[in-house]
Amino acid sequence: MIKYILQRLFSGLVTVFFVATFTFFAMHAVPGDPLMRGKAVSPEVRANLEALYGLDKPIAVQYGKFLLNMVKGDFGISFTQQNRSVNDIIRDSFPISATLGLLAIIFAAVGGVTWGAIAAINRNRLSDRVIMFAVILLVSVPTFVFGAMGQLAVSELNQKFGIDFLPIAGWGTLSHMLLPALVLGLGTMAFLARLMRSSMLEVVTQDYIRTAKAKGLPTLRIFVRHQLRNAILPVITFLGPSIAAITTGGFVAEVIFAIPGLGRYFVQAVQQLDYTVIMGLTVFLRSVSCFYGYSCRYSLRFY
Amino acid sequence: MSENVLEVKDLKVEFDTYGGVVQAVRGVHFQVQKGKTLAIVGESGCGKSVSIQSILGLIPTPPGRITSGSAKLNGQELMGLPLKELNKVRGNNVGVIFQDPMSSLNPTMTIGEQISETLRYHKDVSRKEGRRRAIELLGKVQISEAASRVDSYPFQFSGGMRQRVMIAMALACEPELLIADEPTTALDVTIQSQILNLLKDLQNQSHMALILITHDLGVVARMADTVSVMYAGQVVEHGTVDDIFYRSTHPYTSGLRAALPTRERNRQKLIPIDGAPPDLFSPPKGCGYFARCPSAMNICENRNPPEFVNSTSHYGRCWLAQKNSMTPMPTEGVL
Repeated sequence: MIKYILQRLFSGLVTVFFVATFTFFAMHAVPGDPLMRGKAVSPEVRANLEALYGLDKPIAVQYGKFLLNMVKGDFGISFTQQNRSVNDIIRDSFPISATLGLLAIIFAAVGGVTWGAIAAINRNRLSDRVIMFAVILLVSVPTFVFGAMGQLAVSELNQKFGIDFLPIAGWGTLSHMLLPALVLGLGTMAFLARLMRSSMLEVVTQDYIRTAKAKGLPTLRIFVRHQLRNAILPVITFLGPSIAAITTGGFVAEVIFAIPGLGRYFVQAVQQLDYTVIMGLTVFLRSVSCFYGYSCRYSLRFY
Repeated sequence: MSENVLEVKDLKVEFDTYGGVVQAVRGVHFQVQKGKTLAIVGESGCGKSVSIQSILGLIPTPPGRITSGSAKLNGQELMGLPLKELNKVRGNNVGVIFQDPMSSLNPTMTIGEQISETLRYHKDVSRKEGRRRAIELLGKVQISEAASRVDSYPFQFSGGMRQRVMIAMALACEPELLIADEPTTALDVTIQSQILNLLKDLQNQSHMALILITHDLGVVARMADTVSVMYAGQVVEHGTVDDIFYRSTHPYTSGLRAALPTRERNRQKLIPIDGAPPDLFSPPKGCGYFARCPSAMNICENRNPPEFVNSTSHYGRCWLAQKNSMTPMPTEGVL
């Protein structure tokens, strides 16, 4: 068991290493550098800055230095934000992104399993058709559309009844989190619903369901213990990557709802070629998603 | 005949398919007595499994449909029984063993849990008691170290062991009737033999009735008291083992035997039955076996023979079995 965990850990490290390497060189292949943004600087100042950040060294040396610091857990200081280290940014913003993502994934998982199961039970009936239509809609329509529509709907409600049901943007209390989490989770929920439905329909035809019937078990017991339990396995497997994707990929929702999560910094950093922030966030987010993926697969063993 | 544990009459089952309606079972009847074994034999698709499964409501409906028939278990009519009542019979009065032990057990539940859940629902025993009984049952079906195996998952068991688990599960509530649907088809010959011995022993201990569905005449000779030979959705011949093996009146039964190796015919070629079973989308007007029958007559093409009774225990659906039939049964190359 320990051997298994160590193997996974190692393969995770290898993955992160390759991601870091690729990002590093891809980033440096983009024309320009962080110092070109903002005001024009004189050649002397520029030379000093380059020396300060180590940008005057050959790229191989920069890469080696970056790797060395990464191993020490130090991602350096942001080019664009005064005196803020990448570690500070992560420490301040990641909990926010993670909370939002976790809420979204709970919503997606519960909703997906429920809707998928309902659709499968009512296969080819009206309710199945309606659910499957909604699923296709939710999968295809991008987050920002639902974000804007959600805000519109909530503000209409707030106006009509004169009470604040939910805040439309910002961050702080649980009520701030509900709408963005819902919007962020919708696509994943729809995907999981589809996965759940097909998995349920496959399990229903299995021989062991017939065995359970032949044993005279009540319908509910067969459904919960024999059918649902087996049908949910592919959903759980997929949950790992989608937890990773949602907790690290809620940029759009974060921007729409003005949430101070990691996503905003990431987008900003890419636009301004903020080398240290790009590298730090990439490596960090990839590590997180590797961890989620592996621990999810690992937890299946105890199912 | 009050000792009949199960009595099935005029059972007809159809399936809706894209190609049309398949008449899978066309008026079947059979019965089995306490402590006795009925073997149902026939080739693939002749309706063996469907007849048995439809009695317990195990065929999927739709596309399946039971159009007529009655099935009485100890006098209680099973046809049209509401699911709640039927569930009291399934697993409790009737145990079922299916063909493929590899896929018939739930992969995500322990062996013990799967055995004891039957007990918990029918006999209202506690979790702890259920587990104790599961260990006992595993011992009964000769799984060694039952106490430590009870928490294993099906994937940790071999095919033969899984079939033993299936048997333990089917016997958990001490049913009056055990249905074994090709219990040894998926197993190799040595394990086959062990499983059959086990079934026989368990039957002797508990005096339950056994319905054995198979296409292996060797198994029939070894296990059965009475035999129903099915062809194209009908029972074409029924009798005791001796009736079927020595006094057969139906060319299909003879054909099946001719296709079997014997010690005398060791080096000779086996004689297969030419052709294929009729299309059950539109069953033939006459005898289902007409097209393949070596002794077919004109009457066979247009009129399906009724059941001609030869003795109290033996009947056959063949015009040749009619009392004053002119043609003698063909026997050459058969025995």
